[in-house]
Amino acid sequence: MTAPAVVLVEDDPALRTLTARALQENGYTVRPCATAPEMWRAMEQGAVDLVLLDIMLPGTSGIDLCRALRRESEVPIIFISARGSETDRVVGLELGADDYLPKPFGTRELIARVRAVLRRGGMEDRRAERGLGIIEFDGYTLSLPRRELLSPGGAVVDLTGAEFDLLVALIDHAQRVIARERLIELSRTRMGDSSDRSVDVLVSRLRRKLSGEGKDAPIITVRGVGYMLNAGVIRR
Amino acid sequence: MRISVGLLGRLLTILLLTLAVEFVASTILYERSSRALIRNDEAHRLAEHLVVARTLIADRPWPERPAMAARLTTNRYDVHWAGQTRLAPATAAEQGEAFDRVMEWEPSLAGSDLRVQLVAVGREAQLFGALRLEDGTWLRFRASAPGDDAQPGWHRILLAFLPALVLLVLSTLLFRTTLRPMRMLARAAERVGRSSGLTLPEAGPREVRRVIRAFNAMQARIHQLITDRTQALAAVGHDLRTPLARLQLRTDTIDDPVVRRAFEADVAEMEAMVGSLLSFLGGEDDPEKPVRTDVAVMAATIVDDAADRGADATYGGAPHLEASIRPVGFKRAIGNLVENALHYGHAARVAVRAEDGMLVVRVDDDGPGIPEDQLDAVLHPFSRLDPARSRNTSGLGLGLAIVVRAAEAEGGTLDLANRPEGGLRAELRLPLR
Repeated sequence: MTAPAVVLVEDDPALRTLTARALQENGYTVRPCATAPEMWRAMEQGAVDLVLLDIMLPGTSGIDLCRALRRESEVPIIFISARGSETDRVVGLELGADDYLPKPFGTRELIARVRAVLRRGGMEDRRAERGLGIIEFDGYTLSLPRRELLSPGGAVVDLTGAEFDLLVALIDHAQRVIARERLIELSRTRMGDSSDRSVDVLVSRLRRKLSGEGKDAPIITVRGVGYMLNAGVIRR
Repeated sequence: MRISVGLLGRLLTILLLTLAVEFVASTILYERSSRALIRNDEAHRLAEHLVVARTLIADRPWPERPAMAARLTTNRYDVHWAGQTRLAPATAAEQGEAFDRVMEWEPSLAGSDLRVQLVAVGREAQLFGALRLEDGTWLRFRASAPGDDAQPGWHRILLAFLPALVLLVLSTLLFRTTLRPMRMLARAAERVGRSSGLTLPEAGPREVRRVIRAFNAMQARIHQLITDRTQALAAVGHDLRTPLARLQLRTDTIDDPVVRRAFEADVAEMEAMVGSLLSFLGGEDDPEKPVRTDVAVMAATIVDDAADRGADATYGGAPHLEASIRPVGFKRAIGNLVENALHYGHAARVAVRAEDGMLVVRVDDDGPGIPEDQLDAVLHPFSRLDPARSRNTSGLGLGLAIVVRAAEAEGGTLDLANRPEGGLRAELRLPLR
């Protein structure tokens, strides 16, 4: 298998070099670019597995670039931004970016995000699989592009990245038992959060967050096997 | 408000004083002139009455004279024929001012040894007098004194007061209207620096319009100044993150784990400073919009996160509580309270509850608390407790100031109190919407 190709768009030369080096050392092929035109040229140089995009680029704003890129291709995109602004994050994710990396970031965090996004696969697969990315279950509404969960009352229920990914995994296997080992495996690979928190703790926190007035969360423990989301799921 | 009431009061006082002076002056003048007028009038009537009485009584034979005198007696004049009495020559008092006036009007009375005298009878003054008929008999008369009646005077005062009263009410209303721009100005001035300013319409008298124009210009200047500074600081904050990212990536290439960890800690502290500065400036986010959020879950997430890092943090409030808040700012506020509790109080017990229509976020710790006299001071930006402590304190001292701002954005408050059983209690209270 050839090394995954990453197009890195970053206007700060030193940061571009350092990021490229960090990626290369972890086995990625990097095509560094400073501007939008350079990015378009780099995209034509061959298959691209991931675009790392600094949204504060001079010239075109990163958000416009992301929109243009999304029109052309389904390549996974990770935003890099110094703004750390929630609005930017949400807009970026809604425009089809796959993840968001706030500055400053370390090698470990960078590689973990890149790895997680690459493992999730391209937007193509997931688009076909998920439609608009809106999932309804048990009165709750989950938005995959916004990575947001709304309660039956319409309020945002704060979930950590790991909790969100766990919930998505449970939804993907709705009304089927998912083995604990499989969840642990998922938490190590697919779930962006690279903490070693045990799956059981995550499940118990998720349960607490999904419990309603005198009503338990629709997550069932199947002793000795694993967990199951006991609710009908509607995807839109 | 106090300014406008004061001004209104002063203006009304000035008006009242003017009115009073005007009233007193005119009353004195009017009373004087009218009294003189009445006196003259009175003397003339008395003189005419006396001339008529003298002629009529002198025409009658002696026996009919008392009856005639009785017929000539009116409400005001008491005429009495005294017969042939002998009277002492007239004294100076008997031929005083009243005498002169009567004589002035009816010089024909000159040959009748007329005497007229003003005598006080009880509270009233009466004119007493006598005159000699041509046959040597005497006619005595009495008249109530002119112009000493107090009744009409009070009437006049009341009458004069009525327009004054109407004027007072009218001018109060007019003054209030005229001063309304001043009240608006005061209200706008109170809001300067808080939330968005308020451009006042230029209304009212010329002087007030000028003040308002100057105020609007000043407000715009201040706003511009603050915006420029904020943007400059925010830009520096954002730009700092790029070199920080470089530093962090370079740190990862250091082989010596001790040196690397020290570098990482430095970078993390710098990032925390930039983050709190940007959050304080509000440059971190464009003005956030309120979003319906489960605040209890939000607090629990923060507590879970702290517990995962090994801190003594627990959540013991309602499992769910939904409210409209600005999520990023509010999460940061709860996070800051929890961090403070863990840093100074070694433990954080967090609870979110609905109490009397208020959303209450309570964070208790087990630390030494804060000296009562410094409870207010720590809420100010860049403030720290005693200098000795600041040495092992990271950050800029913006933590609680950020919490106060977040609370104000939601129309709420932050209260700090030392718990009687020890430790500090921080309470965020906002209207539950």
